[in-house]
Formats: sequence, structure tokens, C-alpha cells
Amino acid sequence: MTKKQKKLIVFITSLCGMFAIVPAANAMHIMEGFLPVSYCVIWGLICVPFLVIGFMHVDKQVKENRQTMMLLALTGAFVFVLSSLKIPSVTGSCSHMTGTGLGAILFGPCVTSILGLIVLIFQAILLAHGGVTTLGANCFSMAIAGPLVSFVLYQLLSKTGVNRKVNVFVAAFAGDLFTYCVTSVQLAMAHPSPTGGFGYALIKYLGVFAPTQIPLAVIEGLLTVVIVIGLETYAQDELKKVGFLKKGVQN
Amino acid sequence: MERIVQILLITAAVLMIIQGFLHRRKHEKDHSHSSFGHKHDGSVFSIDFYAYASRLRTWSPKYKAVFSMVCLLCCIICDNIYVSCAVILLMAYITVVMGGLPFRRYLSLMTIPLVFLFFGCVAIAIGFSGSPSGDFNLHLGFFYVYTSKESLWETLELITKALGAVSSMYMLTLSTPASEIIAVLRGIHMPKLLVELMNMIYRYIFLLMDTQCRMKNAAVSRLGYCDFKTSCVSFGQIASNLLVVSLKKGNAYYHALEARCYDGELRFLEEEKTVSAMQTAGALLSVSLLLCIWRLTV
Amino acid sequence: MAVNRLIEKMEQEVILQVRDLQYAYSDEKMALKGVDLDIRQGERIAVMGSNGAGKSTFFLNINGVLQSEHGEIFYRGQKMTKKTMNDLRKNVGIVFQDADSQIIASTVQSEVSFGPMNLKLSRNDVRDRVDEALSYMNLTDFRHRPPHYLSGGEKKRVSIADIIAMHPEIIIFDEPTAALDPVNADMLEEVLEKMAQEGKTIMISTHDVDFAYRWAERVVVFCDGKIIADDAPLAVFSNETVIRQANLKRPMMLDIFETMREKGLVKDDRSYPKNVEEFKYCI
Repeated sequence: MTKKQKKLIVFITSLCGMFAIVPAANAMHIMEGFLPVSYCVIWGLICVPFLVIGFMHVDKQVKENRQTMMLLALTGAFVFVLSSLKIPSVTGSCSHMTGTGLGAILFGPCVTSILGLIVLIFQAILLAHGGVTTLGANCFSMAIAGPLVSFVLYQLLSKTGVNRKVNVFVAAFAGDLFTYCVTSVQLAMAHPSPTGGFGYALIKYLGVFAPTQIPLAVIEGLLTVVIVIGLETYAQDELKKVGFLKKGVQN
Repeated sequence: MERIVQILLITAAVLMIIQGFLHRRKHEKDHSHSSFGHKHDGSVFSIDFYAYASRLRTWSPKYKAVFSMVCLLCCIICDNIYVSCAVILLMAYITVVMGGLPFRRYLSLMTIPLVFLFFGCVAIAIGFSGSPSGDFNLHLGFFYVYTSKESLWETLELITKALGAVSSMYMLTLSTPASEIIAVLRGIHMPKLLVELMNMIYRYIFLLMDTQCRMKNAAVSRLGYCDFKTSCVSFGQIASNLLVVSLKKGNAYYHALEARCYDGELRFLEEEKTVSAMQTAGALLSVSLLLCIWRLTV
Repeated sequence: MAVNRLIEKMEQEVILQVRDLQYAYSDEKMALKGVDLDIRQGERIAVMGSNGAGKSTFFLNINGVLQSEHGEIFYRGQKMTKKTMNDLRKNVGIVFQDADSQIIASTVQSEVSFGPMNLKLSRNDVRDRVDEALSYMNLTDFRHRPPHYLSGGEKKRVSIADIIAMHPEIIIFDEPTAALDPVNADMLEEVLEKMAQEGKTIMISTHDVDFAYRWAERVVVFCDGKIIADDAPLAVFSNETVIRQANLKRPMMLDIFETMREKGLVKDDRSYPKNVEEFKYCI
């Protein structure tokens, strides 16, 4: 290859990089039809126990107080709207939050799993992000695994008395990162490399998505901090209501 | 051989750039749009908007759901490039010609999953290695980017399969408003709690979007989005404010429901849309056609 | 004349009787501090008073959404208890101020059917009521449209059709003109007129003194959780103390008419005009 060609390739790759981040938006939603049937079913089944626990928890809350339904619906709509908003970015590109870290910190993993499931269904229907057949896989990575990591980290760090801002940031950031890893694992399992197998495919997937997902996780973490601090400053009463939603999770 | 890979790479890059530009332009347009009014908010709810406008809205949602799911499953289970292409064409015909959606809009909607498709496929199609080990190799200084005919073919199959699946879903979502899809979910005995939550969430999404839009305009008008840092702070504050405001309104919403004898279950009058013999025949014909293609090409 | 009509109405059957109603949202602040009110068949009542005077709380109480520990509500002579609260909800309909907070369904038809469905009517009855309410509010063409693509005025019409479909005996409008443009406000007034012609009992809370003066035949003024005036519009708006206490204004028509009478431009024995038409008749 001539030097000129090399230059061209470097130029194009960097351009690619710049624009690739652009709509990488919800790139971590596995799209419709990308997974073989067996994996769709397996991931769906894996979600079931988590969703059942979440459902029973939510059901109990609603039976105790019917008005909880309204709060749940509003928070669900909030998570959806949050995930469909364009977040600020340096390059003027466009990407979106997942909102899962925030959900886990504010409402706990049980409520987040159910709301996450519904939000994912709506994202598939209204935004064409993700899909029906890949709902199980996406639900596991975004509504279950990510929020669980965020929640556990948040609880642990709260006990150690770390600065709250740092705590929230780490929880949201790690949740996002974990979602990204789980999705890569899911993809690598479904499409292992013919030569290197699962491990090699995993590395490739992790590598391909890293440039978009890692900055996104950082921004998500920062935004989550701003949101949580904002809520704590202005909405003590409402947080109590939300905290009521979260109650009963620890036990 | 190197040539071919180079060409492929460059084409891919050019496609990405075009896509990126389109996307940006779309967003810029939406942006100016949203400052004017929040209705028909292009990027965010275009699918919802088209669903209400579709000529296929009169079809029974159950029928559309079953038909699109069957086609979707055909795509995934057959895992056959010819079947996938047939599904893509068939669904495009139904959505665009029968449903009356402008073809350009349909194309631009098809680009939504393109980014994921690109990344997902790149990881399958190409490999990195210290030695040229594929059919096509590209030397990039320290390592080789390589690909093989098989993996390229596999990637192509995957792309058509995924696009077929997406277009099947579009057939449903671009002709059926979410509320009708939720009614179908109720019909297949999804837990009541989830169905009710979905109904309420669907309604509130639009209220919250509206509020957010107004808050954002107010923030923009006070230079709240002038640079990256300010944008982040404004974005976060608007988001938290949005949650607070909507939770505060929750009481009022609940009172309004109770005032109309709400007793914990949302009941609406749903239209009964019947399935005509023609439609049944059409669906059966298309599915058997797909199966035929599968049989013939396996 | 107005007084005569009022007396006539006094003989009409009382639908709703409220006795010493008190209500507190939290422990400290009382929103209603003992309200007594009788609502008779076919009355047009304007409810006035500054924000936070307790109007909305009162409406929610007589609809049965809020239930007070203290005070009694009689519906057609029957005392309402927790068990019979649904009777109140069936028979007292509220059109909320913000149509968006009232609308819950995702098409106009299912939205309007929500109330009748909750009344546990048969499918056909529900369908009939929805058809009737939609044509009443001129919404038949919007039947399958989603509320989120409707304009503010259209949403308001939907929220009114919601209540009409339930066939309540009393319809309450909570600040109906608050967010409407003049054309839609006119539309609303026409609807109100039509309902009044049909002998429906209507209560409207409003800040628009001119509207209250020309439309209502009885004005109830709330102030700090109590009713401080309950009389014919002319009597209420002539009462300086009430006007000052409740942060009201005198209707323009009243001022103009009195000024002209002082200047001798109209004959003294004419009764007070309610609207522009009547005013033209005076001079």
C-alpha cells in the first residue's frame, strides 16, 4: 500500500470515529433479528425470575396503596423520556442516557426491572431501538444486570461514607459499563468467531463498542450526579414518596 | 484482493459518514422544530405519528401483530438470505404502498438501527491478527485486518436477517398505535398490572415530553445551553425538575381518575376490528410463499 | 327579575346539601373551614374566590374524591357515607382545569368511554353514550385521534365530553376558560348556554367577573375556606366588603351602567343589564 493510501485510510477511520459517535445513541440495544432464536429464548428465560421478583414487589406496593400506580407510571414515563432525550456532548453529536443507573439509585432494582421492561418495550415500539425478539437479552443487560450493579455499588459506597457525588457517579458509571459488557458477552455468545471462538469475539465486540460506550458512561455518570443532587435539593417531599417505592428492597 | 478490502472499508466509512450527516441534519431540523412547537416531534415520536396516519390502521391489530410476528420468526428461524430479502420486500410493500407511508420516510426510519448493525457486523466480519490469515488481508503497520469469504457471506446473511426482522416490526408499529398494541398484549393475558402501567406510561410520556420541551426552551432562552458544561448542568437540572414536577402532578392526575369512578382498573371501550377473508388469505399466501422460498433454497 | 327567578329556583328540588364541611390536607392548614351550601335542580352557579380559597378542594369533596371527617353531604336527602361515595362520583361530574391532567386514554373514543365503562354499563350503552357525548361536543370526527395530537381547545372539548358521557346531575367546571383562546372560550360559553337550556345544573369556578356576572344566576364567593357570600350576581358584586375581601373586581358592565345612570343617560327604573344585548335595550 502506498503512503497516500495509508493516509487516506487513517483519515477515513478518524472521520468514521468522529461521526460514528454521532448516532451511536442507543447502540447498546441489540437490534431486532440480531440474535438466533435459541438465544432470544434463553435470555428471556433468564430474565423471568428477576422480573417475577420485581413484579411481586411492585404488585404488593400497588395493592397496599393504589396511588402508587400513578407514581410508578410517572416514573416510568420519566425514565423513557430521559432515555429519549439528546444529551449534551462536545462534538454536537447526539447520544442518549440509559437512565438505568438513576433508576436503580432512586427506586431500587425491583421497581427498575419492571419499569425497565416496559420502557424497553416502548423503545422497541416507538423508537425502533432494540426489538421484540431481543427483548429478553436487552432486558437482562439494561433492566436487570446494570441496575443491580449500580444499586449494589451505591449501597456499598454509602456505607463507606464516600462523597455522595462520587458515590452516585461511580454507581451510574459502573452500571452503564456493566450493561455494555453484558451486551458484548451476549453478542459474542450468539456470534462466536469461527477461528478464535467466544473469547476472541468478546474482545472484538468490547473493542468495537468501547469508543462510543465509555465516554457515554462517563457523561451518564456526570448527568446522574447533577440529577440526583437536583432532586435532593428541591424535592425532599417527592423523594420521600420515591423512597417509599424503594422501601422493602433491602430485605 | 487487498484492493477489494480497501474498497469495502472505504465504502463502509463513506456510508457511516453519510449516515452521520443525515442524522445530524435530522437532529438540527428537529431542534429548530422543537423550539417552535413540540408536536409531531420528528425524531422522537415519528413512528407514533405515522402509526396514526397509516391507512392500515383500520386493520385488526391482532391480525397485524400475528402476521408481523410470523414473518419476523420466519426471518430468524429460516435464517436464509432469500427468505429475509422476500420479507424485506413484502413488508416494504405493505407499509409503503398499502399503508401510504412516504418511501423516503420509510428509508430514513430504516437507518435507525443501521449504526448498531454496522458495529455488530464489523465485529463479525473482520478479525485482527499478526499474520495475514484470511482470504482478504489489509496490513496496517503492526497487524493485519483480515476477513474471509465465509465471514463476509455470514455477515451479509445476518444483515438481511436483521433488516427483515426490523421491517416486520415496522409493519406492525408503523400501522398500529401503541395503545392498540397494548390492547393486544392484554388479549394474550399479560399481567394486568403491566398492561395498566403501560397504558398510563404511554399517555404520560407525551405529557412529560411536553413539559420537558417547555423547560428546555426556557433554559435555552436564558443561555442554559451555551457550552458543554452549562449544557450538562442544565440538562441534569431539567431532568430532576421534570421528575419533581410530574410527581407533584401525580396527585391531581389521580384525583381526576377517581372523580370518574376509577376503582383500580382502567377500562376503555375498544373498537372491534374484524379480519376480512381477503386479509387472511393474503397472510396465508405470503407465509406459504416464504416457506416455499425456504424449501427451494435450502 | 333575577330575584324572582332565584325565588322560583328556591322552590326547585335540592340535589345536593352540604353542611358544615371541613377539610384539611395536612394537620396544620385547614382548606375548608365549615362550608354550607344547597345546590338545586337547574341552577347556574358561579364560584369565585382567589387562588387557594378552597374552591377546588370543595369540588373534590362534593364529588367524593376527598372525604372529610367533619361535615355532612346529602345527595337527594340521603346522607353520604364512605360506602355511598360512588353515588356522588356518578352524579357530580368535574371538568378539571387542566384537560391534560384529566385525559388518560390514548384515543378520544376510549377516553370518553372511560367514565361510562366505570359505571359498569353494557357495551352498547357505553357506545351510545360515547356517540352522544362526542356529537354534543362536535368531536365525532376526532373519535380515533390520540389526545396528544390535539390542540388545547380540542382537548378541553374532550374533557367536557368525558363528563357529559357520564350523565351526571351536576356538572362542575374548574376554571374552564383559564387556558383557552377567545374563540374556544366562546365555544365553551355556547356549550354552557346549551346545557343550561336543557336544564342541567352547572357550577363554574372562575376568576372572570364579567363572565360570572352575565352568565350566573347565583354567585358563591369563597374566601379562606369559607363561603362569604352566596347571592344573586348583582347583590354580590354590589357588596364592597365582599369584593375587597375576596380580591374580586366589579364587573365592567355594572360600572358602566351605574356611571351612565349617575349621568342620567339611562332611566333609573330599568333593571341592571346582564350583557351587551340587554344593555343596548336600556339606552
